[in-house]
Amino acid sequence: MRKGLLSGLLVGLLATQAYAANSIKLAITGPFSGGSAPMGASMRDGAKLAIAEINAAGGVKVGGTMMKFDIIERDDEAKNERGALIAQELASMSGLAGVIGTVNTGVCMAGDKHLQQKGITKIITPAAGSDSMTQWIKAKVKDLSIFRFAAHDGIQAAMVVEEAINRKYTKVAMLYDATNYGVSGRDDMLEQIKKQGNKLQVVVSEKFNIGDKDMTAQLLRAKNGGAQAVLIWGIGPELAAVANGMAKIGLKVPLIGGWTLSMSNFIDNAGKNGNGTLMPQTFIEEPISPKAKSFIAAYHKAYKVQRIASPVSAAQGYDAVYIFAAAVKQAQTTDTKKIKLALENLQEPVHGVIATWKKPFSAWNPADVTSHEAFRREQAVMGMVKDGKVVFGNDADRKRLIKNATSVAGKK
Amino acid sequence: MLKRFILIRGIEGLMVLFFAAIPLMVDNSFMLGLLTLLAIYAILLIGLDVTVGYLGQVNLAQAAFLGLGAYTAGLLVNNFEFGMVSALAAATLVGLVMGGLLAFPALRLEGPQFALATLSFSALSATILNEWESLTQGALGLQIVRPPLFGMALDSKGFYWFCLLLLGLVWMAMKNLLFSQWGRAFEALRDSPIATDAMGIGTYRHKVAGFALGSALGGLAGGLYAFNFEYLQPHVFVYELMVILLLGVVLGGRKNLWGAFVGAILIVLLPNLLSNRMLFQIFSAIGFLLALGAGGLALYQKRTRPFQGIAPMIAMGLLVVGSFTVQNTEDWRKAIFALMLFSVVVGLPEGLMGFAARFLSKLFSIDPLPFASPSDLDQVLVKQEVDGSPLLQLQELKCYFGGVKAVDGVSLTVASGTIHGLIGPNGSGKSTLVNVVSGLYSPTGGSILFHGKPLVQGNLFDVARQGISRTFQNLQLFTELSALDNVMVAMKGWYRSPLPLVLMGLTGKNEKQAEADALALLEMVGLANQARTPSKDLPYGAQRFLEIARAVARRPTFLILDEPAAGLAHPDVTALLGIIRRINKQGITIILIEHHMDVVAGLCDTVTVLDGGKIIAEGKPDEVKRNPLVIEAYLGKGSESASPVTVCLATPSPVPA
Amino acid sequence: MDQAVIIQMVVSGALMGLVYALVAYGFQLTFATSKSINFGQGELVMVSAFFSLTLTDLGLPYYLMIPGGLLFGVIAGLFVERAGVRLALEQKSEGWILMTIIIGLFGFSAAENIWGRDDRPFPTPIPSEPIQLFGISITWLEVSVAVGVFMIMAIIELFKRKTLLGKAFEAVSADRDAAELMGISATRTIMLSYGLSGLVAALAGILISPITTVGPTMASVLVLKAFSVAVVAGLESGFGVVLVGLFLGSLESLTSYYVGSGWREAPGLVLLILSLAIRPTGIFGKAVIRKV
Repeated sequence: MRKGLLSGLLVGLLATQAYAANSIKLAITGPFSGGSAPMGASMRDGAKLAIAEINAAGGVKVGGTMMKFDIIERDDEAKNERGALIAQELASMSGLAGVIGTVNTGVCMAGDKHLQQKGITKIITPAAGSDSMTQWIKAKVKDLSIFRFAAHDGIQAAMVVEEAINRKYTKVAMLYDATNYGVSGRDDMLEQIKKQGNKLQVVVSEKFNIGDKDMTAQLLRAKNGGAQAVLIWGIGPELAAVANGMAKIGLKVPLIGGWTLSMSNFIDNAGKNGNGTLMPQTFIEEPISPKAKSFIAAYHKAYKVQRIASPVSAAQGYDAVYIFAAAVKQAQTTDTKKIKLALENLQEPVHGVIATWKKPFSAWNPADVTSHEAFRREQAVMGMVKDGKVVFGNDADRKRLIKNATSVAGKK
Repeated sequence: MLKRFILIRGIEGLMVLFFAAIPLMVDNSFMLGLLTLLAIYAILLIGLDVTVGYLGQVNLAQAAFLGLGAYTAGLLVNNFEFGMVSALAAATLVGLVMGGLLAFPALRLEGPQFALATLSFSALSATILNEWESLTQGALGLQIVRPPLFGMALDSKGFYWFCLLLLGLVWMAMKNLLFSQWGRAFEALRDSPIATDAMGIGTYRHKVAGFALGSALGGLAGGLYAFNFEYLQPHVFVYELMVILLLGVVLGGRKNLWGAFVGAILIVLLPNLLSNRMLFQIFSAIGFLLALGAGGLALYQKRTRPFQGIAPMIAMGLLVVGSFTVQNTEDWRKAIFALMLFSVVVGLPEGLMGFAARFLSKLFSIDPLPFASPSDLDQVLVKQEVDGSPLLQLQELKCYFGGVKAVDGVSLTVASGTIHGLIGPNGSGKSTLVNVVSGLYSPTGGSILFHGKPLVQGNLFDVARQGISRTFQNLQLFTELSALDNVMVAMKGWYRSPLPLVLMGLTGKNEKQAEADALALLEMVGLANQARTPSKDLPYGAQRFLEIARAVARRPTFLILDEPAAGLAHPDVTALLGIIRRINKQGITIILIEHHMDVVAGLCDTVTVLDGGKIIAEGKPDEVKRNPLVIEAYLGKGSESASPVTVCLATPSPVPA
Repeated sequence: MDQAVIIQMVVSGALMGLVYALVAYGFQLTFATSKSINFGQGELVMVSAFFSLTLTDLGLPYYLMIPGGLLFGVIAGLFVERAGVRLALEQKSEGWILMTIIIGLFGFSAAENIWGRDDRPFPTPIPSEPIQLFGISITWLEVSVAVGVFMIMAIIELFKRKTLLGKAFEAVSADRDAAELMGISATRTIMLSYGLSGLVAALAGILISPITTVGPTMASVLVLKAFSVAVVAGLESGFGVVLVGLFLGSLESLTSYYVGSGWREAPGLVLLILSLAIRPTGIFGKAVIRKV
């Protein structure tokens, strides 16, 4: 019977793949294909780079034996449905130490609950909107196995708004894409404007769809409203269409927005129209410290590229693996629940490429998401597009990071 | 009988038990997730198959109905604390109503326009779900908590069994529906919408009903989808999902419940299949060998066009090459879908299950159920009282196409109980005249009285419902249906069953009666022993007879026969005369368009001769034959000395005259 | 709002509308001869644009790249006809709808993997600096789109009317059976129409790419609009698509300005469903007589 055969296969497909017994099974998930692929794939490649380094050095010492990392890669295609199924798959895997990954908020919303149910440790990186963490506060969970390793939208929105205020603007236009990311970014920015004393007047608040190429309507409204800056939240090539559209209608004001403005598909397509665009960054592809220098060189060499598609994602993926490895070392086991406890109370600082992480997470506080958030305002800097590259937007940031790197002591 | 029961019902039962038992045997939440999704997609695809398979239309809106159903269920649970059953019922209802609303305008369209209308509908509903933020939360997504079922909280196992149960119910209901008059009507309208209307079955209403039904299942599946994932975003329900759904239906096999099920398995498993390289290589190799074997054999036996044999081989060959050379197969996902779909659509149009069914039916031959014994013809065609009064009266009837006056002021009376001949050279307006009477064309002027009252005009279906039935000059059989089904479907108006009873499968008695009646009619035209033959496989003459049997199955008072003898061999013509007389004997009034003068002379009580859209003669056949105007019309001027018209004068024209 | 804004919105919308019209014109060409259209036309636009970009990357100057890109479009169009349409037409089925969707899907995936998933800029010698014309700003690129659209449509219409081959095209469009009886090969004429349709698609890709950038999804929205334009105008009239294209483009632009940019797609879709419901043959289409 064909159906019998297929259902037999169904069982066969699920048979656990053979992995070395003495290994740390770490799953990396994210969109490796589709529109969010630059972020997902850069994160994966950064993480794999860290794993290769750790494995090359013999692995992590657990209970007297050196254990290497085994990677389980899953492409969620930025689809919620796939995300849910992958999470279910991971949740039912035996001996899984943890999960790193995810870009899209929807994928977190659909999938993470399966991991949380089984208490599997997950570090969300490089992105995901605020809902991916605040959902746990709403659900009033007492104990959470999900961590986030990303400059969350709250920090970024705060920086964007702060930048506009520092530049003495009073009227801004707000543009955002019609995805979860864009809409929650808008909400975060509005909240920050309120928090920072209502110094900005939002003259227009406009949406654009994924795939839109003509932004004339939105931009004309911004221009007619007298906007002094365009605050923007979106992913991908539409951002470039906005920059180009601004040049076309002669709206000569700065574009300030989320960290995705550092992605190659914005920088390349906007060309010179992108110059001067500002965005918060956790990592700038500039060899300001020995650690950063070796990371950038190793990445370029390993993946045969001249420029990282999304440096932030790559660096976060890289650091997340090192933090995870430190937790394994401290827990002295690959039991995911013990790793979670270790993560909440990391004793030794982790020297990452973004910063030196000292106690990045603490025990879950059901009233405060930041207990499971690694990034604080200090780890983020303002980046600026300049002639096809992202450079430091404020020289003060650059100096601060260099100083931190040399003094080695990261601040919390 | 027993074998049949075991093989068909038994397998279905076993499959249900097997799938229900999996979670008891294996404790694996991933497996459970896949199985739940499988059940949901199976429901969705069964719905899609109604339009894509049975109605034969490319429907690109099913993903939208999934989304509408999902949001309906989710919002009702969130905002009004609906329970599981009531929320699902509402989701189904929304699917049904929205499907109906879309179907009203869209189903007047055919082929590409229909596909475009459904495509636009999908895009529009995604836009609305995304933009109506106050209701749907837009792109932020909607979080839902799975509601209790009759006060009972369902865990993931319980929910899976619930989905499986619903799939079982949907399966049985659809099976009952598709093997009833409804299913036959769906297939009939796909093969010939014109004949479906002319047989009083109603193309439009069945299309709308079928589409709405399929959409309702989409809505139901959407509700389950919402409760399965407990999180919804509008961008999920878009074009890409639609293409995958089409892949499932086409690959699994259209017009086939098992096909929808296999399609659902494929959809659910494909991502895993692709991520496991080894498995993918094996599968593509099997596919290639299948294409090579099936295509090669068909080519060798010259059963197929070269393209149909070779193209799938190339496509599957590409897949095999790709499976070994491409770095990351998941990146090529869409291309892999495309190659598989291409091969199946070209080389295996009936899909995997259609193919398997053919194969299995050879392996386990199941004897078809024996027929009911034919009814008495006199009971099927109850003798109607005739009194020779005027049944059909045409007054100054006109039908113009632009400047062409196809029918130009014809007044004519057909007396009840008679056989009225209508002859004339090609282009004289005979077929146009009956096309106007039967409602295919609207008259430009004049009036038609039937039973002394004005007859509805310009609508085949309405005219058919008045008791007028017809055959077609160019055959309009339901080609995919068997001879018996062709006749039975025309009895739809006669044996009506309420839809709920049909869905529950409680209409067996009616079916048996219809079958017996249809057999009697097939016997009348000499096709009783070919009742199971698909009508497209019947010889030409038999097809003509079958059309007559089908037209009579409507139990009309008035029958239009449009060149029934065209192309018939001599023995068949003799048989035809007998059949027409037999029908007339039951009191059915007949209008007969014919070129064969001997047929007309042997049958007709009165003959009307048309030329250039006008009547040039009328009377008994013998008088008309000698009328110089008629001779001139047929043979041209200067042939007064010619003998009366006796021969078949011209081949029938391919276009309506 | 002031008048200048409205005019600006109408003008820039109308220019986009011309591109919809050009793609819709590609549908008309094939519909005329074979009553079929390529549902993968958007992918054809995109793949041709990518191919042209590759030619540019290889160092071919802009004006030499154009014929190369157009030739690629013609070949791709012929491929679609051979692989996706001919069999279905021979079987008198509507299988071509699914087949052209499938071929489009393959083209999409191939482009994603060959040229990457990211959008890429398309270099052009035509300056993209805006010029001011009666208070509205418009770029030379946009002007080039308008010129290109009108030129190619004029050339093809002239070809249909003035050359022998073109007349064969018209004959098959008017009555396929009669044309075949006169010794015109319908199959070849349909091939010709698909080749021309591919050419039009490639040109649309080359014209629009410098404005929108080149990427796998560049034409997925475009083609939906082109469907609307083709159906609303009717699949018969070249003049009609230009008018409807201009109208729809401006309407969209005004909608996104006044109603909200999220609703941008809505008028086209509503217009399409309405026109299908009210006048399925389109505003400029001819009614069909059912024959039995």
